[in-house]
Amino acid sequence: MAKLYIDSDKYGDQAGSPIVEAFHSAIKDIVRDKLDEAGVDWNSFVFDKSYDLLSAEDMQRVEKKLLDAGHRYDFSAVISAEERPDAYKPVEGIDGTDADWTLEHPDAPSGAADENGRALCGVGDNVVPYPGMTSGIARYVRSTDHVMKYLSEGVPDGTIAVIDDSGGTLTAPILEQFSGVICMGGTVRSHLGILSREYGIPCFMNAKITGIKEGQKVEMETNAAAKTAEAYQSGTEMTANIWKFD
Amino acid sequence: MANNRISYAQLLETNNLIQACTDETYWLCVTRTVQESKLFPVPSYMLLSYLNAFYRYPSVLRKIESRMSAEEIGDRARAMGIKVQNPSMGWALPGFYLLGREWLINMGLLRPQDAIEDCIYVMDFWKRFQLSWHRNDGHITNKEFGHRSQILPERQEQIFEADAYACEDGDDLHSAASQFMASASQYGFLISCESRISLCNEGPYKLGDNAEMIVRDYMDLSESDFPWLDEVAAGVPYNNLTVPMRVKDCHFYLMDDWGSFESEPEFRAEHIAGVGLYTSDPLSEGYEPVGMSSKEELTKTFLELNQQVKDATTKLWQRMAAWTRDQMIDAGAVTYFAICKDLAHIAGTYEMEDWMLIDERAERFRPLLNDEYSRDCLGELVGLLTHPSQRTNEYTMMQHSDGPTRMYSPIPYSILDGDDYTPTCGPVYPGDSCLPRKQDRYQTSRGVLTLEEFNKQVRDFKPAAHKYRFLDETWVKYNSDTALADDMYKTEQARSRKLAGKGAGLKRSDLT
Repeated sequence: MAKLYIDSDKYGDQAGSPIVEAFHSAIKDIVRDKLDEAGVDWNSFVFDKSYDLLSAEDMQRVEKKLLDAGHRYDFSAVISAEERPDAYKPVEGIDGTDADWTLEHPDAPSGAADENGRALCGVGDNVVPYPGMTSGIARYVRSTDHVMKYLSEGVPDGTIAVIDDSGGTLTAPILEQFSGVICMGGTVRSHLGILSREYGIPCFMNAKITGIKEGQKVEMETNAAAKTAEAYQSGTEMTANIWKFD
Repeated sequence: MANNRISYAQLLETNNLIQACTDETYWLCVTRTVQESKLFPVPSYMLLSYLNAFYRYPSVLRKIESRMSAEEIGDRARAMGIKVQNPSMGWALPGFYLLGREWLINMGLLRPQDAIEDCIYVMDFWKRFQLSWHRNDGHITNKEFGHRSQILPERQEQIFEADAYACEDGDDLHSAASQFMASASQYGFLISCESRISLCNEGPYKLGDNAEMIVRDYMDLSESDFPWLDEVAAGVPYNNLTVPMRVKDCHFYLMDDWGSFESEPEFRAEHIAGVGLYTSDPLSEGYEPVGMSSKEELTKTFLELNQQVKDATTKLWQRMAAWTRDQMIDAGAVTYFAICKDLAHIAGTYEMEDWMLIDERAERFRPLLNDEYSRDCLGELVGLLTHPSQRTNEYTMMQHSDGPTRMYSPIPYSILDGDDYTPTCGPVYPGDSCLPRKQDRYQTSRGVLTLEEFNKQVRDFKPAAHKYRFLDETWVKYNSDTALADDMYKTEQARSRKLAGKGAGLKRSDLT
């Protein structure tokens, strides 16, 4: 079998991620086979023969091998799992049909309810401090169907959007109508953090929450200090609290 | 392959430029933020764009330079807020090309000594553009300048400062400008499929005690190159808008090569103390004022633009929400790959087929691009640096991480000793797209043009200020009392409400 230039590597061994290593190993095997099949030297192969000999079908076989072994992919974009449910792990709670479903973070703090029925249920990184606390009704916004619904019906007043996407595109047409945002990902410099700051909407990023149900009243400690770049770089915890009302 | 076409000096310089990109890309990627989206498969489209860049940039850049050198484009670019700014040129052009190269190396499809004439050319193009564009601050990147960007000549800074209307938190102009900038930022993220490359900040520039100016560009807002803006963006009357902002009591201590800033204290809208509004493109005489005749007109203009942008956002979102995953990947990959497409618009060599399609050589890899592989492969490429090609000897202490790693592989010098290499990956191959074809409508400062008209008009156009190309800031320092300097200043001041005809002797203290 042909030997590739990178087969001899004094310092590098394999990729850090198992799926990357699996794919790249399989591709390198194909390249070796095709190089043998072409019967030419590398210089004639790399930008000439390889264009004909290495195809999308080869790459499909690489992927199929992993799926046939039982692997199912993590999703990042909802559409990926929707289009290929057999290839991806299931997306939970995306359709909003289960009223008791909650987005759970394993490290979310929680506490008993006080005399006002207010119980600690999470923390987040405050994007911008505001003079007071922000309270409203928690509503999950996790899919284009959610956004489409609010786009046609309007976002109810006092909505605190609970979002697990730190991007700025999913909620683009309705973001301005939220009274607050609790986002499970990103940092204060993520796109959603930037946009909420520009719109003047109280926002916590990198939130760790537990037990917040659709339609439940929540309160955000939006008068807490904003998390700084230095805190991110040093790994210093600098969080603001989130409470729910039972 | 004969190797006498490449010199030791060329390789030394190319490898230095590659290393500079390694250092900065790593810093940007680990200190900024993870770009994620539940709507767009972002890592998947990024990876595809890198391959498109690897296979196509060398050819499309050579095509551009068949009409205009990188240095001349850099000179022209200083007078435009279009996609030849920091996100496009300070980082992405070499970064995307080198990321594609590194990924291919790790799949066994490339050696570090393959396509090296391409690699040398791409890095050299980048260097010449950057040195020209950064001429006034004397650096090659914002990073080299300690993360600062001072591109503009004094005469343009004076116009931006003098013509800006004062505003303060709570007044009508402040409110209208803030609303527009929030809406336009959001629209920009959507246009660019979750990336931030539709907007860029530049500066800061000193405006006396406790005040600085930053210049923010919003780019590709109307019907222009992206097919997904056809019709939905027809109501946005300008393709590029620039907002110079006077900012008080807030020091911008960092302006990176992605066009993002850090400030002390944290920048908020309440710090904005003055604003202006301009448009520009390859057919404009530099920055042309928009709605700047009076403070009331500017307020009204911001409000109108805000509504136009919001309408376009809703229509575009609805279009995108109905896309297939492959359409999302194509749009994102094209957005990234074509981040430097305006180089071709300035040179008059823009072709839709060059910039808006996925090259068939890159297309072969689409079946790999599931979310998990893409996330991990990209994460290893730009953050963890754990691909085998990125490992170096154990004594290495990489800048910022101290680890035995580097992001991009240098070209081995052994080719000068006779080791074989390959020069180029070849010309642009046919491409395709899952998206509808671009309609032949391009919003420009001269109205809506067909692409043929656009290219022709660009090729026939030379801005009036271009004849002063080599009269730089050092020349001005010693020649501001000459008629030639006066002519140069008056040429740009002709569009200024307050400085028209003032000439070259003007200093900051004369503006008020």
